Amino acid sequence: MKLEILNEIIKKKSSSQNFALLTNLTNGNSEIFEFGKLLSIDFENYKKQIENYHSLKKNGVIDGTQIFIQNFTKPIEVIIVGAVHIAQYLVDLFKNLNFVITIVDPRKFFITYERFPNVKIINDWPEEIFKKLETDSNNALITLTHDPKIDDPALKHALKNKFFYIGALGSKKTHTKRCQRLKESGFTEEEIASIHGPIGIKLGGKSGPEIALSIVSQLVLESNKLLLNSKK
Amino acid sequence: MEKQIKRTILEQGRDWFKSDRKVILARVIQTWGSSPCPVGSNMIVNDKGEFFGSVSGGCVEANVIEECLDLLKNNNSFKQLEFKVSDDNAWNVGLACGGEIKIYIEKINS
Repeated sequence: MKLEILNEIIKKKSSSQNFALLTNLTNGNSEIFEFGKLLSIDFENYKKQIENYHSLKKNGVIDGTQIFIQNFTKPIEVIIVGAVHIAQYLVDLFKNLNFVITIVDPRKFFITYERFPNVKIINDWPEEIFKKLETDSNNALITLTHDPKIDDPALKHALKNKFFYIGALGSKKTHTKRCQRLKESGFTEEEIASIHGPIGIKLGGKSGPEIALSIVSQLVLESNKLLLNSKK
Repeated sequence: MEKQIKRTILEQGRDWFKSDRKVILARVIQTWGSSPCPVGSNMIVNDKGEFFGSVSGGCVEANVIEECLDLLKNNNSFKQLEFKVSDDNAWNVGLACGGEIKIYIEKINS
């Protein structure tokens, strides 16, 4: 493989793009594939199959050929509302997984670079932030403040924009009240039920790192379900 | 606070190349049965036998590194390797899980 292809993969990965690496196993030639891109003579005859594998995010040697396709998929963008201590553990746990994280909090003293040295942080109200951020079903939302003023606008935005995962921290009691408020705002039972609340899978732990682990586990579980469904 | 850098397998390969090492990329291209690493898993190897990443969770790495060094020695640019549990040297490098994998190794060229 040429160094320039290796460099291109590194660059595209860091800018979170969807693409694939194609390799002709008979002559060793490789090239980058993206939808709409013209293919060289090594691959052009297999364009349909390549597109098919790419849209299914399927890696492997394409049936009946000697073409290997490896897909690089855009990571899921997770928005965490609340720069609280659980958010710090979340950042640690997400580090080795394919997620991009943004932390938002209107409270200045929580959201500092000292507390969150290697993550994108935004010090503003979720309502204001979501006016500027582009979001879709590739996003996940985790709310951690359990303060309705901060969490609710984020939850409403995530429901309206069909985030694939929405989780809200808070006790059963807090969550029941939250559901009631969302109902009064006009969300359907089904929409409200799609919120994971209380957030996380049951691990039985109460400490910050354990809660963070249960949240990350749930998000990984849901994202893998999403991937499986897209392959069906 | 010191900035943490999460260096990926490919970035490691690029950095070795920059410091004049010969570099080989190994990728899992096919699997049958229960293989520990999915298709697309990769590992980067240099001419000193140093490696980063994984193609099997430890079962065949040593053999893959040897093959990579042979590839350099013979001045070839790519090769396909197959590992089955029924290999003669199963006790040394076979997949204890009973799976089979095909690995593609290739040299990084300027």
